[in-house]
Order: sequence, then structure tokens, then C-alpha cells
Amino acid sequence: MEKFLYIALFAPLIGSLVTALFAMKPKLLFTGIFTSFMLAVSMIASLNLLNHIYTTGESVHVKLMDWIVIGNIDIPFGFVVDSVSVTMMVVVTIVSTMVHIHSIGYMKHDKSFNRFFSYLSAFVFSMMILVMSDNFLGLFIGWEGVGLCSWLLIGFWYHKEDKTRDTDVYNSPYSTISPHSSISPSYAANEAFIMNRVADLGMLIGIFLIYWNIGSLQYDIVFSQIDTLSSSLVIAIAIFLFIGAMGKSAQFPFNQWLANAMEGPTPVSALIHAATMVTAGVYLIIRANEIFTIVPEVGYVIACLGAFVAIFAASQALVATNIKKIIAFSTLSQLGYMFVAAGLGAYWVALFHLATHAFFKSVLFLGAGNVMHALNNEINIKNMGGLHKYMKGTSIIMIIASLALAGIFPLSGFYSKDLILEVAFGNHAYILWTILWISAGLTAFYSFRLIMYVFFGEENFKKFDYKPHETYPYVIAAMIPLVILAIIAGWFKDTFIQMTTNVLPQLEVHLDSSTVGILIVVTSAIAIASILFAIFKFKKSGMYFGESLKHRACYKLLVNQFYIPHFLEYIISKPYLAISKFAWKTIDLKIVDSIVDGIAKVVYASGKEAKTIQTSNLSTSLKTMVYGLVILLVLSVALGFLK
Amino acid sequence: MEYILSILIFFPAVAAFVGFLVKSDSIRTYGIVITIIEFIISLVLWNSFDNTNPSMQFNEFIPLISAYGINYIVGVDGISLFLVIMTTFMTMIAIIGLSETKMLKNLIITVLFLEMTMIGVFLALDAIVFYLFWELSLVPMLYIIGAWGGNLRIYASIKFFIYTFTASLIMLIGMLYLGYIYYMTTGTWSFSLLDWNMLLLPFDMQLWLFVAFFIGFAVKVPMVPFHTWLPYAHGQAPTIGSVLLAAVLLKMGTYGFIRISLPLFPDASVYFMFPIAILAIIAIVYTAMLAFAQEDIKQVIAYSSISHMGVIILGIFALNVEGIGGSIFLMISHGIVSGALFMLVGVLYDRRKTKMISEFGGIAKVMPIYATIFAIMLMASVGLPLTIGFVGEFLSLLGFFKVSPILTGIAGLTIILGAVYMLVMYKKTFFGPLTNSKNEKLEEVKGKELFALVPLVALVVVLGVYPKPILEPVDKSVTHLVEIMEIKAQKEISSIQIISSNTIGEKK
Repeated sequence: MEKFLYIALFAPLIGSLVTALFAMKPKLLFTGIFTSFMLAVSMIASLNLLNHIYTTGESVHVKLMDWIVIGNIDIPFGFVVDSVSVTMMVVVTIVSTMVHIHSIGYMKHDKSFNRFFSYLSAFVFSMMILVMSDNFLGLFIGWEGVGLCSWLLIGFWYHKEDKTRDTDVYNSPYSTISPHSSISPSYAANEAFIMNRVADLGMLIGIFLIYWNIGSLQYDIVFSQIDTLSSSLVIAIAIFLFIGAMGKSAQFPFNQWLANAMEGPTPVSALIHAATMVTAGVYLIIRANEIFTIVPEVGYVIACLGAFVAIFAASQALVATNIKKIIAFSTLSQLGYMFVAAGLGAYWVALFHLATHAFFKSVLFLGAGNVMHALNNEINIKNMGGLHKYMKGTSIIMIIASLALAGIFPLSGFYSKDLILEVAFGNHAYILWTILWISAGLTAFYSFRLIMYVFFGEENFKKFDYKPHETYPYVIAAMIPLVILAIIAGWFKDTFIQMTTNVLPQLEVHLDSSTVGILIVVTSAIAIASILFAIFKFKKSGMYFGESLKHRACYKLLVNQFYIPHFLEYIISKPYLAISKFAWKTIDLKIVDSIVDGIAKVVYASGKEAKTIQTSNLSTSLKTMVYGLVILLVLSVALGFLK
Repeated sequence: MEYILSILIFFPAVAAFVGFLVKSDSIRTYGIVITIIEFIISLVLWNSFDNTNPSMQFNEFIPLISAYGINYIVGVDGISLFLVIMTTFMTMIAIIGLSETKMLKNLIITVLFLEMTMIGVFLALDAIVFYLFWELSLVPMLYIIGAWGGNLRIYASIKFFIYTFTASLIMLIGMLYLGYIYYMTTGTWSFSLLDWNMLLLPFDMQLWLFVAFFIGFAVKVPMVPFHTWLPYAHGQAPTIGSVLLAAVLLKMGTYGFIRISLPLFPDASVYFMFPIAILAIIAIVYTAMLAFAQEDIKQVIAYSSISHMGVIILGIFALNVEGIGGSIFLMISHGIVSGALFMLVGVLYDRRKTKMISEFGGIAKVMPIYATIFAIMLMASVGLPLTIGFVGEFLSLLGFFKVSPILTGIAGLTIILGAVYMLVMYKKTFFGPLTNSKNEKLEEVKGKELFALVPLVALVVVLGVYPKPILEPVDKSVTHLVEIMEIKAQKEISSIQIISSNTIGEKK
């Protein structure tokens, strides 16, 4: 089995490195096909491992070589494949294989085609390291590695210029109804990297705490000894690890980078900013569940934050017209759901939702990519409409994915999302349950608002002379496995439970079947009602929010993303630059350096003055002698008096 | 093998003298050959170095002024070994990548002399010999900045010289006093560091001596607030000067702390742990802000050097194996990375004769290979795992975390602020549309530039993935050093601190 482990891990790296050799050459179709093939190899190896773990229940653990060994610290490159990591591996490799194939079509006319595939495969490799490592620092390698690849891919179109920071909401890079997702791709890339670094500092501190109190960073040793530590220490460890998770999973207050990351190519959004990288935070909590189970109070805070983000992000999606941002907010909201489950101790439920979400959300993004391509990179859903006629395949796939996202029976989202609501209810967290229930309604509404605006109604794109066309058949073919998984993944719930509870704790929720039934009905009801509302409202008036609403404060708040981008710009970035300039021009040059030069000048000036003593002019010498004598006399007299 | 260290030290100097006879048009080749041979000698040294032995190896002893116990003593251990190899390596790379044409012969001869002094500092085990090399290293650098520098070169070179020289004089006083104490205690004079290591100094005396040495080292490192010579020196120095200054000369200060301050003054080191840590943290955060405010690419890297040196100091004063070992690794990695960054800026300067960020923008399009190499070095500089920059930074911060979690939290801002100034500078220089028409025809890196940069890129990745070859000998020698400190500590509080710095387990 070790053979498969190494194949699964290193195949993407080989693809990336080989492709990197052609990075600066003109487009070569080979690079796309080769990386996709290597990903498929990795996928097959991962499926093999999945089969092995499912049938035997044993995990595979290997140590490749030493990495950092000094003093007491001993960190190897070690990898473990158990039911948790194999789930992640399978999800990651399936989605990335399909995204790679999709990208061959999506990036067809891009002049940096080869470079794109090199980055994309490098990302998959980092993600595999992240999920397969057997220690916290190994996870951190992957953690930063995916951050690097995310930086490279968000800023992929680095040549675009910075947009002006317009105050007009229809044109401002800060608003969700303008055509700009961020100031520029390179700006968004830096923002994502830096914001993640803030959270990474938290994670590093968590790692330091673990090391100095346990003496190892290997998962098995840490988890077996974590209960020997005092609970306040475990709370600190849990909080700092969670801060790291918040950054990668874009939880509030680190949420802004994810929406702005939509500047990247759409397949990147599908793979990195929906299906895989952003779920790394959830994965960390699941992986370190032994730590979080000891301190349920931290878990509860995580759950509350998750519920807050679920509704906070969903609300922003309601009014957005930027197609990618709608889906990005939806991702954020679903990540909130996962954190609720993980925070309440339902780790396998979180993992389950993570997997189903990866399938339907990635396919939703890929569909959005098809739509944008068909319309000359148009991004405003209000400039689309009636596309169902032109792009049947994409339309059907996106409708199915949206139904799955809304949690409609019997699609995968139904199983996983309902479980999270059950968990919240079963833990007597009724407020959380209510928030999630409302968010479920909002989710269904904004998903179908998007579908209606894009695929039905008036053909607004005609004003712009767009000629929509369905994408290449192989691109649709790449989406089909994902959409099939989005439909059927939920049916394997029992198998999934059986496999993961080897490693993860059982669900501690005891609700009688009638309560569960009522919950299912209530949740499904709000989802279906919201969908129907979205459809009929659109059929009736062709739009959702009247002109009167647009001047309301709440609308402006949502459109401007709760003014978070403004806050970051005017309260953090600008003052930091101003303070830095002040520190340089005033403190460093005027004060510190002037003192140094001042000392030198004093020495120089005193030397210059004292020079007169040595001029060998007799009268000056005599004069100074007299002055000296007088001073000495005065001094001795004064001293005499003092005594 | 017996005289390998002396060969290592004096071969460049002898070669420099011979260099006067070499014709001007073949001096370049001559310089490259000499530095390559020197680098190979250092590799031979590494090959025959015994990793399992923590103490000094290849010792040589030649009496100079026996009456006063001044002798030529050299030796190498796990702490100095890689600093020496890094020095020979970076000198070789700097000469290979040299693009200067003015008075080339003088420049290469100067660099060879400089190489002698740098290696001498790292190998000398006699305080006076150490001091000789230490001060001699100023002269070639003064000449390099003063003769090949920019417009303000005279001011910059004089400032550099006088500032560091004055501080070193205070260190010299400390050395003479220590020699005198040795005479008073034992009845014989000695300036050998190995002999001094046997001394048990009273606490008060340790404090004063520590301060004297501290001033000498702190100006060299440089630590805030003694750093203002560095931006001028870097700003005016030619590329090769900046490369060697950042890569090697700054490391002399931090090396001095490890070689002299820690083992000789263990109690004072513990006593000054927090004040120095606070200075280091100020350096980390404050100079990171200064770097962010700069308008010149080279100055960004110059200030970032000071910031990273702060992390090194912090690691040293963690007084545990992880911290000190990490700071030694960080010295090596910072030498390679900052040297590479200065060379990269030099590449741009050669083409456009300017280093101002505002003159550029969007040049990733015309110089993709250059942009890629720059990005790799940038990522190493911000400490991305699997690059060389991560290991040292991680270990240094990890080490100090045991001493003070809160201070480490503040020092950890380096990973955020470092990313801020580097990425913002990178974006302004390389990304966005190509607006300045002068940049449209920029030439891609080529020939000797690539020859110099590619080995650096390779090292950044290789040692990031597999740091063991360096960490192993470092581990041995540093463990030995910490043991010595623990044994020599006279005040109970000091030994408790050193032990607690090195213990794992929850504080009850």
C-alpha cells in the first residue's frame, strides 16, 4: 500500500515539475494533458487506498526521511493515510482531475497555458502534503504551500492594472454589484497571502505550545498525551490552532480575501477557493479532534462563529450580481456550516459535508466559468439571461448542483446539511439551529436567483453583442462525474459512517425518529419554499429587489460587503503605510541618525576648536596658558571653599 | 589536513598578492578560479570534519607574542564550519556574477583580501587575532564602498568605517581587560578563547565585559538603534559590496555573540536576555515597517536584513539548543537569500541604472525568468516551508517561545510584516501593466548572472527540504555550548533559566 501512497502524493508534483520546464514556452496542449493524466494516476492510487482502508480498516503510515532534527525536536517527512485523510485525498484528487480537464478548455486561448497547469498541479501536491502529513509541521508545509499556490493563481493575470477605488457602487472594486472582484488580481493575491499569514502566526504559536509541552509534533504522540495537560493549556492550544484554521477557511474576521480571490481564473476558484484549500481549516479541526473534544467550550465558540459566518455570508450573496462572488459567499456560508458541525463535536458530519460540498460547489463554479466564457467574460448576472436555450448542458448541471446546495432530497446536500441541523438541534443549540435554518432558506433563494438570472428570462446579453455558445464536449464531460457525485454522494452515508468512525468519535446526538422527521420536513420546507419564491418572483416581475430598496442602508451594507474592504483599506492599510513613512522619515532619519551624526559633529567641532592650541603661535599659546591658569585657580579656590 | 585552516585563511591573501602580477584582462578568470579553489578547500574541510565531535577540530597553534600570551590559534567546530563554507561560497558566487568593469583588477584583489579577513574572523580562537581580522575586514569594505559606490559613497563609507571601528575599540578594551584578569587569576597572560573559557568570572565583571563586547557586536549586526550606517552602506555600495556585507559581514556580530558572549559570560547573558530580546523585537517590527516605507528596492532588502538579524539575535538569546541552532541556520540561510536578493537588484540596476520601485512595474512580462528567481528568493525571505528561510526562522522563534510566549508572539509579526513589505514591493515592481516604456526592452537574465543565481536557487530549495547536513554538526556543538553555559553559570537563577529554556513539559 505504501507504493500507492507515494504515487498519490508525488504524481501531481511530477506533473507540475515537468510542466514547469515549458512554463515560458508558447502553449503546448501536452502540458494540460500530462498534468491531467498524472492527477488521474493520483486519483486512482487514492481510490485504491480508500478501498484498502475500507476493507481492512488499517491505516498506512510511512516515514520518508528526516526533516528538522536538532535538540529535542525531531520532525520527519512522515505520511499517514487513515479514513480521514483518505477521504480528503479522494475528494481532492477527483475534483482536481476534473478541474484540470475542464481547464484545458477554459484556458485554451490563454498565452500562459503551460504555467497555469504547473501551478495548478503544484497546488494539488501541496494539498496532498497537507492532508497526508503525520505531524503538525508537515501539515504546516502543505498549509503554506497551498497559500503560495493560491497567491500564484489568484494573481495569475498579473498584468492587469489596479482599478481606481471608486465610490460608485456599480463600479467600485469593493462592491458586489460591480464588474470588479477586487482592485486587481495581484492585489487580491497579496491580500490573500498576507491575511493568511496573520492567521498562520496563530497556528505557529499553537504548534510552539504543543512542542514545548509535549515534546513532539507527531499526531499520535500529541493526541495520546494531550489529556495530561491542564485544561487552560489545552484551551490555548485549541484556540491558536483554530485561528490558523480561520485564516485558511476564511472565517470572520479573515473572510475578505476569499471574495476578492475571485479575480483568479474560474477553475482556480472551483478547485482552490471552493472545493479544497478553504476546507483545510475544517480538516485541521477534524484531524485534531482529540484536542478539541477535551475542551467543548472552545468547540462551542467555533460553532457560534460558524453559524454567524453561515448567515453573514449568505446575506451578502442575496444582492450580489457578480456571479463568482455569489458562489464565493455561498462557499463561505457552507464553510460556516462545517465549522458548526465540527465545533459541536460531530466531526464525521463536518467531513461528510466537506466532501459533498466539494462536489456540488466545484461543479457550480465550473458551470459559472462556462457561462462567463460564453459571454466574453461577462460577470454580471443581470447582463445574462435566457442562456438555457444556448447552453443546455451547463444549465442542467448547474441546476442540479444548486438543488444539491439547497439541500433537496435525494441529492447529496440534503443528507449532509440536514445532519448538521440535526446535530445543532440535538445539542440543544436552538439558536444556532435557527440561524442555520434561516441560512438554508437564504442559500436556496440566492442559488436560484442566480439560476433564474443566468439561464431564464430576457436575453439581456444581446445588448452587448455576445454570441453565447455551449462549451466543448470534453469540458462538459469533465463536469459530469462531479455532478453525478453531487447527486449520489449522500447515498453512501452509512458506509461513510462505518469507515470514519474508526478514527473519529461517534455522534452523540440522540433524537427520536419523529423529531428527526419533523426537522427534515421543516428544513426541506424552507428550502423548497425559497426556491419556489425565487422562481415565481422572477417569472412575475423579472427581478427581485425594487428601486426603492436600493437606497436603504441595509442594501448598501450588503452591497459593500459590510464595509469590510473599506475598513481594511482605511483603518489598517493606509494608517500602516503612514506610520511606516513617519517611522522612516522622522524617527529613523531625523532622530536616530541625527543623533549619530550629531555625536560625530560634536567630536569634529571640538577638535576644530581645540586646534588653536596647537598652532605654534607664541601669543596664542601664552593666551591659552593664561586662560588655563585662571580656570585652575578659580577651580581650586572654589574647591577650597567647598571643603 | 593539518594546516587546512591556515590554507583556507591565507590562500586568498596570497592569491591577491599574486593578482597584482596578473594582466587586467584575465583578472576576472583569475578571481573566479581562486574563489572556486577556495570553495573546494572549504568543502574538503567539511568532508574531513568529524560530525560527532562537538569541540574544536583542526586546531593550529603558532606563538606570536608569547610573553603576552598572544598566539595564532585557529580551529573549527559545528558553529563556524558552515559560516566558513557560506563565506567561500558567497564570495565565489559574487565574483562569478560580478558585472563591474571599472578598475576590475583592484576590485577583485580587494575582494580576495576581504575573503581572508572574513574567514579569519570565523576561525580565529585567539581574541587578538580575532580582533585583527575583525578590524581588517573594514578596510577592503571601506575601499569597495568608497571607490565603486554611488553618489554618497564617501559619506557612506566613512560612516560605516568610523561607526563600526569605534564600537570595536570598546570591544578591544574588553578583550584587554579579560586578558589582564586572566593574568591576575593564573599568573600568565593568555588571549586564547579556549583558555578564557576556563575562567569563572564574578557576576559584576561579567556584566561590564558583556556590555563592552555587546557594543562591538551590536553595531556590526546591526541592532536597533545602532543600525543607521547600514542603509547608507547598502544604498551606496556596488552589488558585490552589498552581497558580501549582507551575506557575511553582518554575521560576524551574531557569530561573536555565540562564540564569545554566551560561553564567557553565561550569567550576564541570562541577565541581559530580556533587554536584548526587546531590542531584537524592536528591530524586527520597526525595521520591517521601515522596509515597507522604502521607495528603493535595494533599501527594502537592506532594512529587511536588519529585521531578520533581529530574529537571529532572538534565537541566540533563547539560550536553548533549538534557538541557538536555529539562529545559526538562519545566519546561513539569510546569507544566501539576502546575497541573492542583492544580486538580483544588481541585475536590474545594471540594465536601468536605477533601483526606484516607481520606475518599474509589470516587468514580469519582459523578464519572466528573472521574476521567477526573484519570487523564489522572496518566498525564502518570508520563510516559506521547504525553502531555506523557514527552518532557521521557525527554530529561532520556537526556541524563544520557551522563554517568553508573549514576546515571541510579537516577534512572530516578522512572518506577517515580512510578507507585507516583500509582496507589496514585488507587486509594484513586477506586476501590473508595463507602463514605463524604458522597461519594454529589458533584457532577460543571462550568462554569468544565471550562472551565479541558479546555484543559489538550488541551495534554497535543497537545504529547505533537507537541512540535516547543516543541522547535525550544529546540533552537536550547540548542545556542547549550552552544557558549558549551564556548568559555568554561577548564580543559581542563571542555571535555572538555562535548564528551563531547555526542558520540555508543562510548567506546573
